[in-house]
Amino acid sequence: MLEPPYRGCIIDRVKSSDTALGDLRVLDLTSPMGVYCTKQLADLGADVIKIEPPGGDPSRAIGPFYHDEPHPEKSLFWFHFNTSKKSITLDIESPDGKELFKTLVKTADIVVETFQPGYMDGLGLGYAALKEVNPGLILTSITPFGQTGPYKDFKASDLIGLAMGGFLFICGWEDEPPTRVACSQAYNVASANACAGTLIALYHRDMTGEGQHVDVSMQQCVAAGLQWVTQMYDLQNRIMVRSGRLGVPLNECKDGWAMVIPMVDWDDFVGWLESGGGAADLTSDERYKDHEYQMRPEVRQHIIEVTDAFTKSHGKKLVCEEGQKRHVIAIPCNTAEDVVENPQLLARDFFVDVDHPELGATLKYPGAPYRLSETRWRIGGRAPLVGEHNVDVFGKELGLTAERMAQLKGQGVI
Amino acid sequence: MDNKFPLKGIRFTDFSWYAAAPFVTRLFAAYGAEVIRIESGTKLDGMRWQSPRKPDVTPTYNISGMYNNYNPGKLGITLNMNHPDAMGIVKELVSISDVVIDNFIPGAMEKWGLTYEELAKMKPDIIVATMPVTGKTGPYSQWRGFGTSIRTMAGLDYVTGNPDRPPIGTGMAAWPDFTCNPYHAAAAILSALHHRHKTGRGQFIELAQFESTVCWTETLVLDYTVNKRVQTAKRNRVPNAAPHGVYRCQGEDREVSYCAMPDSAPESRNKDERWCAIAVFSDEEWEAFCGVIGNLSWTQEERFASFLGRKEHEDELDRRVEEWTIERSPEDVMALMQAAGVAAGVVQDGEDLLTRDPQLKDHGFYVYHDHPEAGRIAHDGLTFALSSTPGEIRRAPLLGEHNDYVYKEVLGFAEEEVNRLITDGALE
Repeated sequence: MLEPPYRGCIIDRVKSSDTALGDLRVLDLTSPMGVYCTKQLADLGADVIKIEPPGGDPSRAIGPFYHDEPHPEKSLFWFHFNTSKKSITLDIESPDGKELFKTLVKTADIVVETFQPGYMDGLGLGYAALKEVNPGLILTSITPFGQTGPYKDFKASDLIGLAMGGFLFICGWEDEPPTRVACSQAYNVASANACAGTLIALYHRDMTGEGQHVDVSMQQCVAAGLQWVTQMYDLQNRIMVRSGRLGVPLNECKDGWAMVIPMVDWDDFVGWLESGGGAADLTSDERYKDHEYQMRPEVRQHIIEVTDAFTKSHGKKLVCEEGQKRHVIAIPCNTAEDVVENPQLLARDFFVDVDHPELGATLKYPGAPYRLSETRWRIGGRAPLVGEHNVDVFGKELGLTAERMAQLKGQGVI
Repeated sequence: MDNKFPLKGIRFTDFSWYAAAPFVTRLFAAYGAEVIRIESGTKLDGMRWQSPRKPDVTPTYNISGMYNNYNPGKLGITLNMNHPDAMGIVKELVSISDVVIDNFIPGAMEKWGLTYEELAKMKPDIIVATMPVTGKTGPYSQWRGFGTSIRTMAGLDYVTGNPDRPPIGTGMAAWPDFTCNPYHAAAAILSALHHRHKTGRGQFIELAQFESTVCWTETLVLDYTVNKRVQTAKRNRVPNAAPHGVYRCQGEDREVSYCAMPDSAPESRNKDERWCAIAVFSDEEWEAFCGVIGNLSWTQEERFASFLGRKEHEDELDRRVEEWTIERSPEDVMALMQAAGVAAGVVQDGEDLLTRDPQLKDHGFYVYHDHPEAGRIAHDGLTFALSSTPGEIRRAPLLGEHNDYVYKEVLGFAEEEVNRLITDGALE
């Protein structure tokens, strides 16, 4: 039986309140394309300051919203991606705004931005200029196609990133247009690569003191995750196309779907079907044990049909728990509700409650993507309100007087 | 000073196999870490037998396209972990390593006695990273799964695709294996290296691939915990753009070979799978879009005049857009749209990526190396450019290729000792 959550596991014995990146200051100028990069840094302890244009970041308009009430302080998208961060408002296009930004850069370790190539240079805030201010600075730029090349100025959203990176082409039904994977995966993968690139640059800076410019191409981030598309073409001159259901051993259950992969332990798999009286000819024919034979499309289809007949009479949770007991790779196709109620995630205390005093509510968030024994991953607080830390940063830290701040506010700088 | 490889000096004892964890060490190797991959002929990494392979090359475990693409720049050694001498060797290797990584089922490393506590005795500031499927603890800790299963377990498949048909997610593509799971692990390890630099202390990192992938589902969890809404699949549509979709374009009068699965029978036909993705968010972009397609009369209809109208009549809108795109190549559609400031992109296939895309060519994205058994082969390249320390994709090791170097030069074993280990079967 299940041990109480994490008892005896080293992760539970974290005593230190240290975070891994608690000594770092990050200036965050990201759109949705890069916002997960700075979320990772913030949840690992970095002091991340989100720089919003006066009036608030455009991503505050992205839904869904808290209780479906559209409001800049109620965007769940904003909440999710900006945990553990601070917020200041600053118009970096104005002369005063530029100077204030440069002042912040002096003490920053990392700047992450997602503007079109050349935009920061045009403001006099490109890498060369920022390096003058702070030679150890790491500037991470996330763009659809990178800072150079014939497509550098092309516009792209998540969908375009998936398309140009080659992932969209293999996703969807064979008789429908290619269909995108949900949840902005091109943005996510660009952000995650950017975070790794930034931290590689940080290691180099730890060793040498030298900063550098990290130039991330969303297209390349997508293109590096295509499993076998590159090799099928390179080695066999064949173009991978949408496999539809053929590529997914999906079985219908009473209450949804389960993915049952029979290829690994054929005898376990067939024994399980047999125990439910549903193995049909899969037991008698030895050829099924051959992996290559199993992978033939018509054979695969037949295996799916036999398995379907068995699984349709059970719920997906039961199918998978019983299947896994027999070493069959059986996985439920979970909805958000299934995920939130998943026994494994609950047993491991995965979800994190975050207080939102302004809403008078505590909201349940996804928890740690990784558990570190010495430097705890944590959500350091809910996403910031618009300009919530203006006084802390401009006043207390930079020493601007209340009058000066009022003046800058009047001019639309902050 | 050698500035090319920023992670030079970091050594990995790498027990990873299949995809998710080898992808972690792939990144570290590209930036100069010395990644020593422990393999054994007695239990080969399944990737070594995966399709695709070159059809005209003798099939060995050294020519798998996927293995060679997932393991560039690593040092390959063989070590039979069940041999009595193996543990002594591991101990020596770990004592001069910075990071130990595995993605075995929970219990496998422990069976060998390689718990974090034991590894930390071999090297006090060691960083140990493990990447189990669902976690080391919990009722499902022994569950097995691949990247595809993790995707469906995390809720991604349910919200992907056509809501009126079974949830096929991203098909055979084990997306989390190449994205969230390795890059999350890399970030965690790099953050731990930073912490070690500050404090001299190592640590243990557990990345449950299930949890890591749930972190990549955007607002799926919050929308449920806050609004009790179970999000569903939406094809290519998003709430804040229209048109926003994938449109069929003119095919090419030229035969190519398509395949739905690596082992499926050849399917030669004209290159007719030609599509362009278009994303129109603002009214300004809509005006530009209409200009590109020559302000066709339907674009001026009242029902398409506002964003809400376009959203309401999106089926009709998509049909109209495709009437225009079907007459043109996707490259032309993209070029015309981009020139007017509308986001558009060819839905590129393997051929487009490797042979046509001028952007990837300009960046030298695909890296070609001569492999001793497979010949000249392509590798996916780097995803970001570091201005001072650019890194490099080198080729993957043959099975046991670096035994001599690692056992003799890294570990300092004498020739006779290595020969004895070989004779005794320790290096099988």
